[in-house]
Amino acid sequence: MNEKKRIGRRDFLKIIGVGIAAAIGLRAKVQADASKGPKGEHQWVMVVDQGKCVGCGYCTLACQAHNDAPPEIQWNRVIKAGKLGDREIFLARPCMHCGHAPCVSVCPVKASYYRDDGIVMMNYDRCIGCRYCEVACPFGARAFNWEEFTGENPAVPEWGKPEVPRRPRGVVEKCSFCYHRIDRGLAQGLKPGVDTFASPACVVACPVEARVFGDLNDSESNVNEILSTHTHLRLREGLGTNPKVYFLPAQIQET
Amino acid sequence: MRANPGSFPSPRPLLTFAWYAGLSLVTLAGVVAGVMVFVRGLAITNLTDLVPWGLWITMDLSAIAVSAGAFSLCAVVHLIGLKQYEPMARTATFIGIVGYSMAMLCLLMDVGRPDRFWHGFVFWNPHSVLWEVTMCVGLYFSVLIVENIPLIGEIEWVRRGFPALVQRTEKIHHLAPVLAFLGLAFSLLHQSSLGATYGVLQARPAWYRPSLSILFIYSAVLGGISLTLFASMLSARLTSRASVDDNLVEKLSHFIGWGLAGYLYFRFWDNFSMTYNYQPGRSEALHILTKGSLAFNFWIVEMLLGCVVPIFILLKAHWRRNPSLRITALGLIALGAVMYRWDTNLVGQMIVLTYLPQEIVARYTTYTPSLVELVSGAGVLAYGLLAFTIGVRFLRVVDKRLRQGHDEHVEQAITIPSTALSVAETVE
Repeated sequence: MNEKKRIGRRDFLKIIGVGIAAAIGLRAKVQADASKGPKGEHQWVMVVDQGKCVGCGYCTLACQAHNDAPPEIQWNRVIKAGKLGDREIFLARPCMHCGHAPCVSVCPVKASYYRDDGIVMMNYDRCIGCRYCEVACPFGARAFNWEEFTGENPAVPEWGKPEVPRRPRGVVEKCSFCYHRIDRGLAQGLKPGVDTFASPACVVACPVEARVFGDLNDSESNVNEILSTHTHLRLREGLGTNPKVYFLPAQIQET
Repeated sequence: MRANPGSFPSPRPLLTFAWYAGLSLVTLAGVVAGVMVFVRGLAITNLTDLVPWGLWITMDLSAIAVSAGAFSLCAVVHLIGLKQYEPMARTATFIGIVGYSMAMLCLLMDVGRPDRFWHGFVFWNPHSVLWEVTMCVGLYFSVLIVENIPLIGEIEWVRRGFPALVQRTEKIHHLAPVLAFLGLAFSLLHQSSLGATYGVLQARPAWYRPSLSILFIYSAVLGGISLTLFASMLSARLTSRASVDDNLVEKLSHFIGWGLAGYLYFRFWDNFSMTYNYQPGRSEALHILTKGSLAFNFWIVEMLLGCVVPIFILLKAHWRRNPSLRITALGLIALGAVMYRWDTNLVGQMIVLTYLPQEIVARYTTYTPSLVELVSGAGVLAYGLLAFTIGVRFLRVVDKRLRQGHDEHVEQAITIPSTALSVAETVE
């Protein structure tokens, strides 16, 4: 009996060896996957001009109406960002649609994923509601549906009509760059960022045109032109998440 | 003992009854609270988008951590080959299955869509440590189930009525080394990954460091073995149905004492290295932990009671040999491991880092569990205690006389049918 067990133990060492080799193999594959990142024909980015933003919050309301989000959930939040002279400066924050998104990495079920065009998407049918993505997001861009959103949406119809279904209780939701408007527009031969029908609701709603949306892969695009001629920054850039939302800081001469 | 399983073996039947009744009531209250959570959703908790992980996550982490005695002691017995610890491994394995079921109950309440609990097994994201935790916990739970199957043979009426079944279940002990290896592999993976769940998050400077995964597995092994010894000693004191080899407990406690000294050393460097320079979010978190609202937990419960006091008791031979002091030390170690998880989980979320480029400053938030969270959490705990008590009474989970495969059934030959007796002999 003892001998039997000793042979068994030797077998385990072999199993350990195979196991470690398999783990290393899996790890290498995972890293290869992670370094790929999204590479599609289009790479959608947003530019927000803090010099123009007046903090009216129209973008937030338009977003809530078009995406049918409850009043307590703001995919696109506008916060006070200090003062320049005696002028109040604001920071409008949609989802950054990071190129190396922590939420995509940590999601245990791949309910968060990259689209080929760089949009970080949510699969609401797959999300288990563990809220790890919420804990992992450096921008607080994610909101959990603590309860079911029933009843009327106060932002509708003044700020727009719902274009996507409501999310159920118990899943995490966030800004999608209005992917449905982009897809719909492209199907009709329109240009997202140029044609309002194909652009995100917040971009369309902004009364001072502080938001510009476009394709980073298109060298002629509006966003490329602005980014090549203006000082710009991205939020918490040191984390290396490669955000797709750029900010033009407010300048003193603009006041 | 086996002749009259229905009667109370304890000389204090009233206390025994009160223990069962009290635990049943709390479990029942927990079930009611749990149903409320399923019906009304997580809106009735005090969790928010700023603190999405609270009491239940801590309980989940803690239950898994203090169940680590199962894989550690099974490895000691079946892989390292210290057979004398087999009865303790048995206790630990039972605590393991109870602990993991507690963790799963907590998780079931905590996730927003409990109906989708199986998604992790179907939709894989190998890059996510939480996916790895899900898979390993699921697989390890299966291992624990197989490891615990032979316990069925300890139920009196099963042994009498289904001797053939008992014969089959007892053969599982041939698999023990394989199961011990699988348990070791899955546990090393997910126990440390639970620390990494926090440690990999760049967004939270309070957590973001590689040491968390090491400290989680380290404290889990210490806390897990300590809880096993604590529960064994306590059971042996309270009921004649449990017995434990005091010499072995003392030996293992001595080892735990040294292990704990090493743990304190690592904890010291882990925290001390964070004080060298100011880092937004991390320095504030350290302040909360050492001087702020978590200071009592950290200094008194985690460090003093959870580390320093047990180290002294377990390393000083005179104190260690005193059963009362030893049992206190072992209980405190498990408590320290639990408090470590509560503090770690909370401290990273209490700091809300702003993403404003111009001012990287930390803001603070708070979290106190709601009544529903507390009652359902207490229910899960009561269920665990109840399950362990039943295990001690009816499954002989704390019994130094019982060893898998070479059970000393001969002394009880009178109460066992001849078929079962022959089983015991063939296995010998």
